[in-house]
Amino acid sequence: MESLRFHARLFALYFAQYVKARLAYRADFATAVLASFLGTAASFSVVLLLFSRFPHLAGWSFPEIVFLYGFSLLPYGLFSVLSANLYEFADRYLVEGRFDRILLRPVSPLFQIFFESFRLESLQEVVTGGAAVAWAVSRLPDLSPLGLALLPLWAVFGAVIYLSVFGILTASSFWIEDRVGLAPPVFNLMAFGRYPITIYDLKVKVLLSTVIPFAFASFYPTTLALKRADFTPYFWAVPAVALLFALLNRALWRRGIARYGSTGS
Amino acid sequence: MTALALARPYLAFARTSFLNLLAYRARYFVGILTYFFNATVWYYIWRALFHEKGDGATLGGFTFPQMLTYVTTGWALRSFYFNEVDREIASQVREGRLAMTLIKPVDVQAMTLSQALGESAFRLVLFTLPIGVLLGLVYPILPPASPSAFALYLLSGLLSALLVGAINFCVGLVAIRTTSILGVLRAKYLVLELLSGLLVPVAFFPEPARKVLVWLPFMHMNDTPGRIWLGLATGADAARALALQAGWTVALLLLGRVLWNATARRIEVQGG
Repeated sequence: MESLRFHARLFALYFAQYVKARLAYRADFATAVLASFLGTAASFSVVLLLFSRFPHLAGWSFPEIVFLYGFSLLPYGLFSVLSANLYEFADRYLVEGRFDRILLRPVSPLFQIFFESFRLESLQEVVTGGAAVAWAVSRLPDLSPLGLALLPLWAVFGAVIYLSVFGILTASSFWIEDRVGLAPPVFNLMAFGRYPITIYDLKVKVLLSTVIPFAFASFYPTTLALKRADFTPYFWAVPAVALLFALLNRALWRRGIARYGSTGS
Repeated sequence: MTALALARPYLAFARTSFLNLLAYRARYFVGILTYFFNATVWYYIWRALFHEKGDGATLGGFTFPQMLTYVTTGWALRSFYFNEVDREIASQVREGRLAMTLIKPVDVQAMTLSQALGESAFRLVLFTLPIGVLLGLVYPILPPASPSAFALYLLSGLLSALLVGAINFCVGLVAIRTTSILGVLRAKYLVLELLSGLLVPVAFFPEPARKVLVWLPFMHMNDTPGRIWLGLATGADAARALALQAGWTVALLLLGRVLWNATARRIEVQGG
């Protein structure tokens, strides 16, 4: 409990510090938010373009598709805000030797990596996604109140899943020299989670529900609210999957750090 | 002879760019997977949409095999025309490395474009061809509508690479005026995926949007070559589309020159 309070305070300090630094250049931050929003709007337009013309997709109505896609932006936005350091970890921390500084501090290295810098403008994805979900809710009369109430929490679990999967991939740079690794193709797999899983073949469904569990991050969390009884067991498995992958990630980082030898710079 | 002598330094830039990439081969094997996943998600989406309409249906003038071909050849083409000229030019300006470029007795835009084409040549061999073969083995892709359609497709694909090089040169010069260059470039990718017709052919856009899109250069990145491959644009149509594609490429190269001259005047390089 003590530790939790300590880390929460530390997080608040890191975050406040970052926000201050970022807002020092207001016009620039506004540009970044606008650019980020344009990107989200463009991807969303693709969905609107297709599914407003063809009002049903494998048994899912247009508002349901918007609900799904809008929700997917919540865990994705949270992930984007927190993953700013992850992608460049090998270059910035291992090769340039910044990791030594991290190791000298009496706080979990993983905590520092995640919270030392933020992609603040990605918060707009959370807002945009939330607005899309709200619109969809107004069009869908028969939703489960419990499913709706749990959505924010399940979005956090989804973000934990994304962060853990990419944390695991990043940790591999303690062992593997090639520093870009598998992150880009896995990153593109996130797109699969934004549509009803029923459109895929079995092999894709299995992939998204096991090794790369992105269906648990963005599709299954919507199924309780949308009353898809077939998927309810998967919905309730989301917290366990998030915990499992978070623990895997932590274990891998511990082993990687134990193996780490400084470049000496 | 003089033309060759003039071109020689630029050929050297293209060659160096090719060789630099060769050092990172492993990345390209992973990249093949990335493109395969991107095309695959669209295979499933279109399959589901066509399934709703019943077998043999056409959507926006496309049959399912045509749409699948459009999407897969589109991603394969993207693996060819893709370049990071914008990021490179922006980081040169930011980090002051531009000084080293400016002292070279060459035209900066021509140099940048040669690097982009060198990169594309590399990508064609280690990237586009394997991706094309992989997609062709996994999905039932239609061959080009005719030998002449294929020849025009190759021409159009080459123009796409030039067009993207011209666009990115401009984008890089605009991006340096903000400090969140990477944010601007990320947004650019998503916006261009929509406007180029990579994800959805222009025929699917609502009428008002289509009217705007045909007056913009972006649809020539994917929609134009895609329609040529499928034989949806032939004869005079194809010629007109290619002429527009070439015209836009020239226009954006000129715009790039204007932007470059405006930028070069403002640049002050630190002693660093």
